[in-house]
Amino acid sequence: MKIAGTFEVDAPQDRVWDKVRDPELMVQCIPGCESIEQIDPMAYRAKVSVKVGPISARFNLVVTVLSEEAPHTVISRTSGEEGTRASVVASDNVLRLEPTATGGTRVSYEADVSMTGRLGKFGLGIFRKKADQLAEVFVGTFRDKLEVAA
Amino acid sequence: MTQILFPETLDQAVALLARHDEARPIAGGTTLVAMRNAGLVDSSHLVSLDRIPGLRGIERLADGRIRVGAMTRHADTAASDLFTGSLAVVRKAAGMIANKVVRNMGTMGGSVANADPAADYLPALACADAVLSVLGPDGAREIPILTYVQDWYETALEPGEILTAITFPAPEDAPSAYRKIARVSGDYATASCAMALTPDGQGLRVAIGACGPGPIRDVQAEAVLHGHLQDPQAVAEFAAALVAKADPVDDVRGSADYRLALIPRLIASVLSDLISAKEAA
Repeated sequence: MKIAGTFEVDAPQDRVWDKVRDPELMVQCIPGCESIEQIDPMAYRAKVSVKVGPISARFNLVVTVLSEEAPHTVISRTSGEEGTRASVVASDNVLRLEPTATGGTRVSYEADVSMTGRLGKFGLGIFRKKADQLAEVFVGTFRDKLEVAA
Repeated sequence: MTQILFPETLDQAVALLARHDEARPIAGGTTLVAMRNAGLVDSSHLVSLDRIPGLRGIERLADGRIRVGAMTRHADTAASDLFTGSLAVVRKAAGMIANKVVRNMGTMGGSVANADPAADYLPALACADAVLSVLGPDGAREIPILTYVQDWYETALEPGEILTAITFPAPEDAPSAYRKIARVSGDYATASCAMALTPDGQGLRVAIGACGPGPIRDVQAEAVLHGHLQDPQAVAEFAAALVAKADPVDDVRGSADYRLALIPRLIASVLSDLISAKEAA
């Protein structure tokens, strides 16, 4: 399942770059994210809960930064599982920042997500809708945090 | 380990749901048990509505409205002679749910509470302007069907509330129909269409299923179309308004684009059948 989107933030690229690499800010912006902990310079551990109707899931994720080129590209891989209930998620992610003509930053993201186990049985169609909704919430919060604190 | 509780009154059921954080009501269990077996839902307690009197059956109220108890099985709805004219759509939808085994176990309340976007009742209820009665810790209230579904599998039901009945306006003397496109007989809909003509034969009410989180209905567009049912251009514009409100998923039953393409075809085809039925009457 491919998830992709683009949004603009009214803040300069260097500032946005610092923020996307700041776990404390990310934990506040990612919907359902309970914690993010840096385990080494290129890896983070996160707990994220998602709910679709009657189905709740709580994932323990590890995000590994595979490569980064400051201040415009991060390539990362997320992998994780749900404690006792066997679902496994993995995603390959690319995040790109570029300046806009008006001094802001255009953020583009792409993620190729796979999901197996119990949640895979439910069908990815609804999860894609949910992912789009969560991305919208993320963008709103992220933008507020950056633009207000600017 | 899940514990199943069998309250004998609605008040007991509401109290049990309030007492246990992870409790869920269970009606016929046709979906919930399957989801539980697949490991998709987990509850400490299931509160069965099976032994509560007054939740089953279909009756005509003094003012002509039709009231369906939430625990009424699909098979009973499909066989009821109270769903006439503009309400026949409800009976027809009930008869197309899954298979005989599911229709003998599954209930209208269970299906509506689960709010699967591709299930059959919601478009039929939306077309028929149903009103849902619920009871919860804060008492009883009513929810009009058109405000009921709020997101994918999310409804206006609050935690701890139980859907107790579905009430339909008195049937009008106008034909109605339910049609679904499905991969095989008994499958969930790829797309579905519930439609009734207005008694003057000049207008319609229509709800599309399986093309968004909830049934798609546009009452304003219906008013604009009134008097122009025989004008293919007007019908096409009406269908385009519903397509614009659709937000279908891509899944094993069909791509989002395929579903969007089905909507105008379903509307034109069911409308043509209903106009013929009206003329023959």
